[in-house]
Amino acid sequence: MKSALLPERGPGDRLTAIFWRRPRVLLLLLITPPLLWLGVVYIGSLAALLLQSFYSIDEFSGLVVREFTLKTYVELFRPANFDIIRRTLVMSASVTLASAVLAFPIAYYAARYATGRWKAVFYLGIMLPLWSSYLVKVYAWKLILAKEGIVTWVADGLGLGFLLDAALALPGVGGNSLSTSFLGTFLVFVYVWLPYMILPMQAALERVPKSMLEASADLGASSAQTFRTVILPLAMPGVIAGSIFTFSLTMGDYIIPQIVGTSARFIGLAVYQLQGTAGNLPLAAAFAVVPIIIMLIYLSLAKRAGAFDAL
Amino acid sequence: MHSENRAPKSLTLAAVGGLLFLHLPIVLIFLYAFTTEERTYQFPPPGLTLKWFAVAWNRADIWPPLYLSLLVASISTLMALVLGTLCAAAMARARFFGRDQLSLLIILPIALPGVITGMSLRSAFSLMDIPFSTLTIILGHATFCIVIVFNNAVARYRRLSGSIAEASADLGANAFQTFRHILLPNLGSALLAGAMLAFALSFDEVIVTTFTAGQQSTLPIWMLQELVRPRQRPVTNVVAIVVFATTFIPILIAYYLTRGGSETAGGGK
Amino acid sequence: MTVAVEFASVSRHFGTVRAVDEVDLSIAEGTFFAMLGPSGSGKTTCLRLISGFEKPTHGAIRIFGQDVSNTPPNRRNVNTVFQDYALFPHLNVRENVGYGLMVKGVGRATRNARAEEMLALVKLDGFGERKPGQLSGGQRQRVALARALVNEPRVLLLDEPLGALDLKLREAMQDELKALQKRLGITFVFVTHDQTEALSMADRLAVFNHGKIAQIGTPSEIYAQPRTRFVADFVGSSNVLPPKLAQRLGAAPKWSSLRPEALRLTDTRTAALAGTVTGLRYLGAGTRVTVVVTGAELGVLVPTGSPLPEQGAEVGIVFDAADLHPMEEA
Repeated sequence: MKSALLPERGPGDRLTAIFWRRPRVLLLLLITPPLLWLGVVYIGSLAALLLQSFYSIDEFSGLVVREFTLKTYVELFRPANFDIIRRTLVMSASVTLASAVLAFPIAYYAARYATGRWKAVFYLGIMLPLWSSYLVKVYAWKLILAKEGIVTWVADGLGLGFLLDAALALPGVGGNSLSTSFLGTFLVFVYVWLPYMILPMQAALERVPKSMLEASADLGASSAQTFRTVILPLAMPGVIAGSIFTFSLTMGDYIIPQIVGTSARFIGLAVYQLQGTAGNLPLAAAFAVVPIIIMLIYLSLAKRAGAFDAL
Repeated sequence: MHSENRAPKSLTLAAVGGLLFLHLPIVLIFLYAFTTEERTYQFPPPGLTLKWFAVAWNRADIWPPLYLSLLVASISTLMALVLGTLCAAAMARARFFGRDQLSLLIILPIALPGVITGMSLRSAFSLMDIPFSTLTIILGHATFCIVIVFNNAVARYRRLSGSIAEASADLGANAFQTFRHILLPNLGSALLAGAMLAFALSFDEVIVTTFTAGQQSTLPIWMLQELVRPRQRPVTNVVAIVVFATTFIPILIAYYLTRGGSETAGGGK
Repeated sequence: MTVAVEFASVSRHFGTVRAVDEVDLSIAEGTFFAMLGPSGSGKTTCLRLISGFEKPTHGAIRIFGQDVSNTPPNRRNVNTVFQDYALFPHLNVRENVGYGLMVKGVGRATRNARAEEMLALVKLDGFGERKPGQLSGGQRQRVALARALVNEPRVLLLDEPLGALDLKLREAMQDELKALQKRLGITFVFVTHDQTEALSMADRLAVFNHGKIAQIGTPSEIYAQPRTRFVADFVGSSNVLPPKLAQRLGAAPKWSSLRPEALRLTDTRTAALAGTVTGLRYLGAGTRVTVVVTGAELGVLVPTGSPLPEQGAEVGIVFDAADLHPMEEA
């Protein structure tokens, strides 16, 4: 008969015994490398960003003065800079709203009606555009919206060219062609971030039990009533979760307005240009802090609305 | 099928229309790679040709960015694979002080807009006088790739029966044997899927990279420059197809690796 | 007699919860020992303390006389059949069974031969190539059993192993497990919340409540002489009589137990106790008749075939004084 305890064989067993006696040792071994990486590289960088934003630039030499000052933040409120922030917020909000409207039928269909093969089609159909190359997608829209591109061609072919011209003639959002107008920028933003709205929305809708919709119908609610009083409130956490993405991504983007749109700047573009050609790192840093603060406020509001259960 | 399960026509139309809206623009990229017109984006293309593939192949300025992108994506993926797996193993094991804060820290690099990650790294390099190099690019990429691997690994951990690691120990395996014979085979496909997605993400990344690359060009940066100041437009389309394919294939592989589970890859880009 | 497992005032606290509270226990070698109790009573934690997945907050555990305070699970010659079986999904049945030998460095040929032997023992010959996902619940359970037994453990721990099986299969497995234990002579420690299962299978059993052992003994001792109200109530749903009623019936003024099958219904004149029938529940082999007497509600088991009273009828109850069992604790 074998002994009740087995012998220790080799260093593997010895270490296992140490891990068993002191579980924290193993935890520490596992957690230290990623924690060190994220702590030093990422948090360290965020701290550097914050630090940089409290420096200022010497107007004559163009060099960064490494002394604490609020001067740079005051600059953010100069009319030209404040305009950038306001414009970015308006764009982010419109993109979020439009994404929510466009995403709903897709999310609702995928969550409630798609089964079997169609479920997979919808899944891949949403996932592939989400993951496929961002730059390629933006580029595709440059082709579509160009003056000689497909939109003009289709509009002319259908005899609707006047509608397009009317849209482009709108003050504030129009322009020479769609690819050089606010309208174009808006369209591309909506296209690129739409999948980020569909997914959480679909997740939230999938959690609505079918029986609940049937119960609502049983109680005599019309489909419009069911939609307004049952589906919409239950989809709301998903909408909010999705809006976190669309809002945050639009706010930080600087590629799309550069390629499709007017020369008017957004926060992301301002950061990019200030740190690059202008060489004003402190002001670029201060601009980058703005989306962080807005997102922190947004996230705390979303958390209160229960959006994180849908992520 | 019951009538209650059939969608209203208008909804079906809107849903299918939405899907088409998501996919048609990408098809255009392919079409424009064959156009004979090289100065404008004229639609429909006046003629079709294959010559741009040969032109792109012979352009010397495309190859170094391609190599750099492949190098950066490979190294970043490897680092993310190690760090993300360690993180997932730690988080799956136990509740500990600071666990929630750690999970927030992991998702932060993709939750905040890329411009912030980029600008932060840029500030840090500037403050510490670190010159831009391939290494600074990798530093940024690995940071936002960790979460991709982590998400996939954690989801699989959750699906595994909690007691199989205990069963392995019970049968006499030490911690290393349990990792090699039980955990690794069961996590393997999820980790591979995570690596595929991380590779795709890194290969395609442009927002953070512009802040950390200095004078070097990755393929997306090369493309961005072409978009801002176009030279031969159809060549850009050929490169776009290459970038698209290089990200598309890993994504499909990742999907098939994790299909059927509750944790199908990609939910958390 | 050799002691296989011994607890010396063992406690396991989770924060402020005392999952196991100062438990003393000794399990003799070769017994089929059951730990019975409601969920959260500490029985599963006790099992995990033996296998090593939990460490005692206080006290010492000895396995065959050896203190295991510093021995991790992989070095204890104790094996577990897990509640969800915990079969390795990526390995086939033979590899699952051979796993314990593989990690101990046993060669492939020997390993496979031993695995086949074990599969034959649990009547699964020819299933070696299948994956766990292709097996039924009962078959998975047998694989889990074979996988544990191949290591020739000194103690086999079973955590509610029959819980997931349907009634018919459960009864068949109960007999099989019992026979297997007799044949191998290994100490089995069996956790269950099902009192019939514990009573029918175990040589000895411990009844757990709130992290403590309420009573330990042979099934017949526990059934006939419950020590506390909890045991009387949990094992076989006995009638618990308050002290006053016990005194009126001529016993000591203590909480007492009276098994439903020890009671007989008569007419009201000859009986020491009389009451009103308030419920009848047909159980197959008999009918449980609920009778309300002054101060208590009593269950009477009337065998099928005997005459049954009407609902609301006045009945008398007689019993043998020896069956009225006073309990030590309230």
